[in-house]
Amino acid sequence: MKAKPAEFIISVAIVALGAAVAVGTTRLSGGGGYARIGPNAAPAVVAGALILLGLWLLYEALSGGWRNAIADSPEARGEHSFLTSAFVWVSVGLFAEMLLIDRAGFVLAQAALFACVARGFGSIRPARDSAIGVVLGLGVFLFFVKFLNVNLPAGWLKPILGTAGI
Amino acid sequence: MADTFHLLLHGFSIALTPFNILWGLIGVILGTFIGVLPGVGPALTVAMLLPLTVKLDPTGALIMFAGIYYGAMYGGSTTTILLNTPGESASIATALEGNLMAKNGRAGPALATSAIGSFVAGTIATVLVTMLAPLVIEVALKFGPAEYFALMVFAFTTVSAVIGSSTVRGLTSLFLGLFLGTIGIDGQTGQSRFAFGVPELLDGIDVVVLAVGLFAVGEALYVAAYSSRLEEKIEQLKGSLWMSKEDWKRSWPAWLRATVIGFPFGSIPAGGAEIPTFLSYATEKKLTKYPQEFGKGAIEGVAGPEAANNASVTGALVPLLTLGIPTSATAAILLSAFQNYGIQPGPLLFQSQADLVWGLIASLYIGNVLLLILNLPLVGIWVKVLTIPLPLLYAGILVFATLGAYSLHQSVVDLLTLYVFGLLGFVMRRWDIPVAPAIIGLILGPLAETQFRRALAISQGDLSVFITQPISAAVLGVSALLLIVPLVFSLVRRA
Repeated sequence: MKAKPAEFIISVAIVALGAAVAVGTTRLSGGGGYARIGPNAAPAVVAGALILLGLWLLYEALSGGWRNAIADSPEARGEHSFLTSAFVWVSVGLFAEMLLIDRAGFVLAQAALFACVARGFGSIRPARDSAIGVVLGLGVFLFFVKFLNVNLPAGWLKPILGTAGI
Repeated sequence: MADTFHLLLHGFSIALTPFNILWGLIGVILGTFIGVLPGVGPALTVAMLLPLTVKLDPTGALIMFAGIYYGAMYGGSTTTILLNTPGESASIATALEGNLMAKNGRAGPALATSAIGSFVAGTIATVLVTMLAPLVIEVALKFGPAEYFALMVFAFTTVSAVIGSSTVRGLTSLFLGLFLGTIGIDGQTGQSRFAFGVPELLDGIDVVVLAVGLFAVGEALYVAAYSSRLEEKIEQLKGSLWMSKEDWKRSWPAWLRATVIGFPFGSIPAGGAEIPTFLSYATEKKLTKYPQEFGKGAIEGVAGPEAANNASVTGALVPLLTLGIPTSATAAILLSAFQNYGIQPGPLLFQSQADLVWGLIASLYIGNVLLLILNLPLVGIWVKVLTIPLPLLYAGILVFATLGAYSLHQSVVDLLTLYVFGLLGFVMRRWDIPVAPAIIGLILGPLAETQFRRALAISQGDLSVFITQPISAAVLGVSALLLIVPLVFSLVRRA
């Protein structure tokens, strides 16, 4: 019986993770003192368990598929088929935020995130979404910086936010 | 008993200070709002707000978090009934009958019976928490590291193996969480584990990043990819909100039965509010005088499960406060809120932090009253929340989710980790691997490891300590049975 590729890959990945943890564990020092149990004991148990569970998943994948899993076809789950563009837009939003937050500042980074995610969910009004993102980001920024005294990067907007006394 | 009453009165004197009332009110409003939003659960909300706790005093912050925790249970039922998209997993049973009632133009009574039922069950469960907690503490004070370790193993077993569609996938999720829990500096020897020289990893993986990554980023990726272009139909809220005499007569026995079913599931670490809601639904279906209405919108089928999930989430506060053992993802994140203040819940908490604990318990009584008001007369406002377009809703969720992760250390590394956990969350959602065990594993794993090593230090390395102590042996035995029996059954069935 042929396994579903995804189930096969995930099962193997779990085994591989377990093996990697096992290798890492050998570099940790063992137990001393009364307990004779050191920092390497818990990782060793985790490594063993992950390898066993991965093998078990692999066995299920190879013998008719994982048991009691949700349906493979999106239609049977009441969903539409995988929309690559939606997935990519949400991811782009998160990476744009990572790139921007320390340079352009919190407000602009969140606005970019907001616009990209909205796009990913099918919005066709990027100007409106960006505007909402700026307003939301600014509101959160002011609340955190003014009210909670949590520091967030002002970035490129520093001149404006700075003259406003922030 | 008189003593407990006295302590509770003292708790009210703390919970009724203006600031704490305000935090409680903010908590229940946020909780209801979040509960109403499809796809956002209480665990995610508390996780996103966790970084705020550094600026608040612990009592106020925990009162707010508790408000979010059970406020979300109230709000979730509104979404379930009107949208047929369960806001959180404990509302799935309600969806069976509640949405059908709404389709028949009986949305009002369905919302009323779930709000009043939640209030009745939540209040009775709070009384039970008040009475039970001091008793559990008496016992728990005698527990040593071996007993604690055994109880944590029990909690691991129930949340991963018993709940959910597959034991092996539940356990896989649990051990992923346990692995993440070992990353960072070992608390007892100072040795760094699996940090690969990345300074951000030395502090360990923060539960906020994991929970927000799995729940918010993973969910957003999944919904965007698979269901963002679906048409959603919101049922109209027409007709009277009031329940007829007949509705009352059919609802109240269901509320009480559900409380009896729900509370124990929350309070013995048997994890999750889903099982009791389905049990309550099955019970009502069996006992009803109107079996022909089930599957067409029977009011008992809404009243029971809604009351059961509130009784169960309130019951979960017993092991959380008295033993420091969380039995759900939300409870695990509440535990981490305590830890942020350097407070470890457990029997000693009731002595060292009596103001906080009793203030928190008293706030539950107040919160349930506030929630009844918020959810009955004001239900119209929450219905409007459902009309927020999906693109704006999820964009907003991610703005707050990334804010929660970034404000931990103002570090882009946390945002990258968040995305990695988001991908993991997507994979787990798509291939039906539960995420709650991973979160409980991350937070409870290091605690279990500490208790294990302490127990062995006391016994001078003798492993038999776990099976020679009667309580520890019994609890470990039950955990083993819970794992093995279903396995044997499935093997026998196949043979």
